[in-house]
Amino acid sequence: MLHRREAEPAQPRPARQGPPFWLAVPALAFFGLFALLPLGGVAVLSFMEWDGLGTPRWAGAEIWLDTLADPATRAALWRTVVFVVVSFLFQAPVALLLGVFTAGRQRYRAAFAVLYFLPLLFSSAAIGIVFRSLLDPNFGLSRAFSPGTLSTNWLGDPDLALYAVIFVVGWAFVPFHALLYQAGVRQIPASLYEAATLDGAGRWQQFRYVTLPQLRYTIVTSSTLMLVGSLTYFDLVFVLTGGGPGDATRILPLDMYLTGFRSYQMGPASVIAVLLVAIGLALSLFLSRVSGSGRMQSQQAGAA
Amino acid sequence: MRRRIRETPNALGALGGLVWVVVTIVPIYYLVLTSLRRQQDYYIENPLLPPADPTLDAYRLVLENDFVRYLSNSLIVTVASVAVILTVSLMASYYLVRAGTPLSRGTLRLVLLGLAIPVQATIIPVYYLIVRLGLYDSLVALILPAIAFAIPISVLIIVNFVRDIPAELFESMRADGAGHGRILLALVLPLSRPALLTVGIYQALQVWNGFLFPLILTQSSSVRVLPLSLWTYQGQFAVNVPAVLAAVTLSALPVLAAFVVGRRQLVSGLTAGFGK
Amino acid sequence: MRHTRLRAAAAAMVAATALTLAACGGASPGDSTDAGTDGGDDAQNGEGGAASAWILTGGGWPVTAASFERWNGEHDDQPIAVEEFENDAFKEKIRTSVGSGEAPTLIMNWTGGTLADYVANDQVVDIGAETADLTGRVMPSVAQNGVIDGVTYAVPMNDVQPVVLYYNEDLFAQAGIEVPTTWQETLDAVATFKDAGIIPFSLAGQSVWPELMWIQYLTDRIGGPEVFQAVLDGEPDAWSDPAITEALTKIQELVEAGGFGDAFASVAADQSADAALVHTGRAAMLLQGSWVYATFHTDNPEFATSALGFTSFPEIEGGSGDPANIVGNPANFWSVSASASDEEQQTALDYLNEFVYDDEQLTAMLDAGSVPPVAGLEDRIAQSDDAEYLGFAYGLVQDAPHFQLSWDQALPSDQAQELLTNLSQIFLGEITPQQFVDAMNATL
Repeated sequence: MLHRREAEPAQPRPARQGPPFWLAVPALAFFGLFALLPLGGVAVLSFMEWDGLGTPRWAGAEIWLDTLADPATRAALWRTVVFVVVSFLFQAPVALLLGVFTAGRQRYRAAFAVLYFLPLLFSSAAIGIVFRSLLDPNFGLSRAFSPGTLSTNWLGDPDLALYAVIFVVGWAFVPFHALLYQAGVRQIPASLYEAATLDGAGRWQQFRYVTLPQLRYTIVTSSTLMLVGSLTYFDLVFVLTGGGPGDATRILPLDMYLTGFRSYQMGPASVIAVLLVAIGLALSLFLSRVSGSGRMQSQQAGAA
Repeated sequence: MRRRIRETPNALGALGGLVWVVVTIVPIYYLVLTSLRRQQDYYIENPLLPPADPTLDAYRLVLENDFVRYLSNSLIVTVASVAVILTVSLMASYYLVRAGTPLSRGTLRLVLLGLAIPVQATIIPVYYLIVRLGLYDSLVALILPAIAFAIPISVLIIVNFVRDIPAELFESMRADGAGHGRILLALVLPLSRPALLTVGIYQALQVWNGFLFPLILTQSSSVRVLPLSLWTYQGQFAVNVPAVLAAVTLSALPVLAAFVVGRRQLVSGLTAGFGK
Repeated sequence: MRHTRLRAAAAAMVAATALTLAACGGASPGDSTDAGTDGGDDAQNGEGGAASAWILTGGGWPVTAASFERWNGEHDDQPIAVEEFENDAFKEKIRTSVGSGEAPTLIMNWTGGTLADYVANDQVVDIGAETADLTGRVMPSVAQNGVIDGVTYAVPMNDVQPVVLYYNEDLFAQAGIEVPTTWQETLDAVATFKDAGIIPFSLAGQSVWPELMWIQYLTDRIGGPEVFQAVLDGEPDAWSDPAITEALTKIQELVEAGGFGDAFASVAADQSADAALVHTGRAAMLLQGSWVYATFHTDNPEFATSALGFTSFPEIEGGSGDPANIVGNPANFWSVSASASDEEQQTALDYLNEFVYDDEQLTAMLDAGSVPPVAGLEDRIAQSDDAEYLGFAYGLVQDAPHFQLSWDQALPSDQAQELLTNLSQIFLGEITPQQFVDAMNATL
């Protein structure tokens, strides 16, 4: 994640005594106990039957087979793919354009930038509650207009709900990514634009041949956060729709929660959790491979 | 030709920017407006016009219903988590960058692998663990996992900064007889301040806004944090939508205050570490 | 110079850590001011008989809240800490709470599958002997729900909750039609209201469980209570009963005809938005539990006293079920947590014996428009402000040959969730009745 550069410490002399290991112990203890151990735990639990009340019982591979064969799981998986891809296609261009836009020094753009920042003030739960009320076809925004217009049943229509949720999630997360892009753009040396202007490049050409290539690390960072983030995204969807209507917005993380904490089938819920981990890992590795950033050395430190 | 195009203001850009302003503002405008309505007017008045009879009743109701307690719970959890995250991540980063042993390299890889673990996926074992440790339904139950999951990205960001500190500085301090604790405080800490700021702000927002862990790991109102309280207010106030939205508005005020006080640091700090 | 500042910063950081850790310790529930919200700790802290209970919001619940306030006012040494939850949040939290051994002393439930799970895991105690007085006052048909294998694990604690058809009298007067008593009349009424731009039936589809009331009543009217009993007994292919298929078909017919408007899937019962549609004149009828009567009175007293009508679910032509049968919840029940200390359990039992359905609570319930499941109240009901409604509901319960517990409560929780998901898809037209039947048979 992020365009990580491999640990290649700046050649410390082995002769000199480095910092002792215990400095890393507190961090590792927290990480081990509450991240790695549960990660192992979820793998073990995925082979067990547990209703949340008694003690877990070993059940073997049957849970895996049942869960994977369940059409509901497959539907949730597919829905998650749609959610991740469409979210990305919506958020990435908007965030990029807003970032470039607000990097400009015009006064009105600075004013806009302040407004763009506002969604960051709210927690997911807060945003979910506001939009739920706003999008209510009976008592929400629709009443602002003459009857009939805009009374679309955004969150209640199974064909629309997922896209409505994607929009709200985008509303919540675009500001952060726009900030990343804004910071990225501002680090591009002005001399590159001056040179491009001398070469007669127009606005679009400058964007295409100067801005975009210079932003590649920011793009990788932001995209990875977006993709892996929306893969495991839970809070807003839970508050907005709780997975409904029907199971129209029941993406994998929600499926895991509902299976575990509403149907009390911790085994199948753990199977879904393991699936999420596997997909998340694969996606991260794939992204760092594609971007080639895994090989970046620290000499590029100042470049992005 | 081209010169002329370049000098025209970017009308298309301005228009697009304006559209997003509207998209951003309308929900917030609706939120604030509705929170000032009388409950009985909510069903009657046009949702986008100012209330005929504005009132702060909704806010009073929220404040009378333990809002301050939830706020202080959120503050405690956020401050405690971030303080520990910064301390342990900085210590670990110093070790990971400067030790240069196979052990340190292996450890760094392990921690970075943690970046790809979707936090939500471990919630069931975390729940089980917290129950077994007897921490269920306490603020500590929220703090411990929050720290754990913040470590990979925090370490990554800080390591990138510590790595840029010239080796000579470390060596000269060592030559002066400085111990590791002193190097950490006098050299590493000041020079990685932008990274610490980024980590601090980013993680503070993460913890402050966290919903899933409080939902599963706590139950009593005495340890309820803000995001969860909004959800429960929604059930408690039911049809009193103005009151629910007043709670939402109030919940944004602390972050707004931080934003007003230090917008520049917040915005640049939030991104500085990611840019590296 | 520089170093001192740095050291100060570092020291501040350490101090902050220490401080906050201390603060966390201080904020742990055992020390909180409101007399212990969790079971185990308090006993260890020597707070003696302090017990705890979780209740819901809305409907007739304020009466229960008031009853606890009254108790706490009179029993300084045996306080009961009360937490309020909305219905859906409660269902989610109570199970994890019980599973983690941190359950409140008094565990509210609807009996059925959930109570059976608690009993199977030894999480609630036998309270038969201690609550004999209380159960003696209650209608036997209601009290028996808390008995499993001859042992009393739960006792009723609030109003009996039959599902009733509410309607807006003004809208019916405007439309010039009568309240439907048969399925055909129902379809006619739907057509009339739809043409008038009014939602015929308000339905909280977002919450899904109100949709159960429709399938429960239809199935019962068409095929009688035996149909669902076969499901409960786990008979193979029990969901394939033609009565269920016909009920599902009728539901989809009603949805098609616009019986619930276009936006029912966005309406949430927890926000009482379904009742709001009726009292704001946007919907004509609402099939809901009897607790909604109190909601109408709280949210719109003017409407509730002038234009709120109520009746029983229509007959279905050719159905074999008794039209006097009702569905709903016999009541909510209290169980006593096995993980509570002896003192906590004693406090809870004292409360149950002394305060549940005592004279004051009965008065408060009748004032709030709730029907207590207590025999011999005819005279008091006749004298109450809501005599008409209370008499109707009381008679409905007493005359019902069968009172079907809500299916989602009667079934084990995994089957119940499957049922809710599939049922919401039926209402949305996403699946056919046959697909529903197949999916549900697979859970048996």
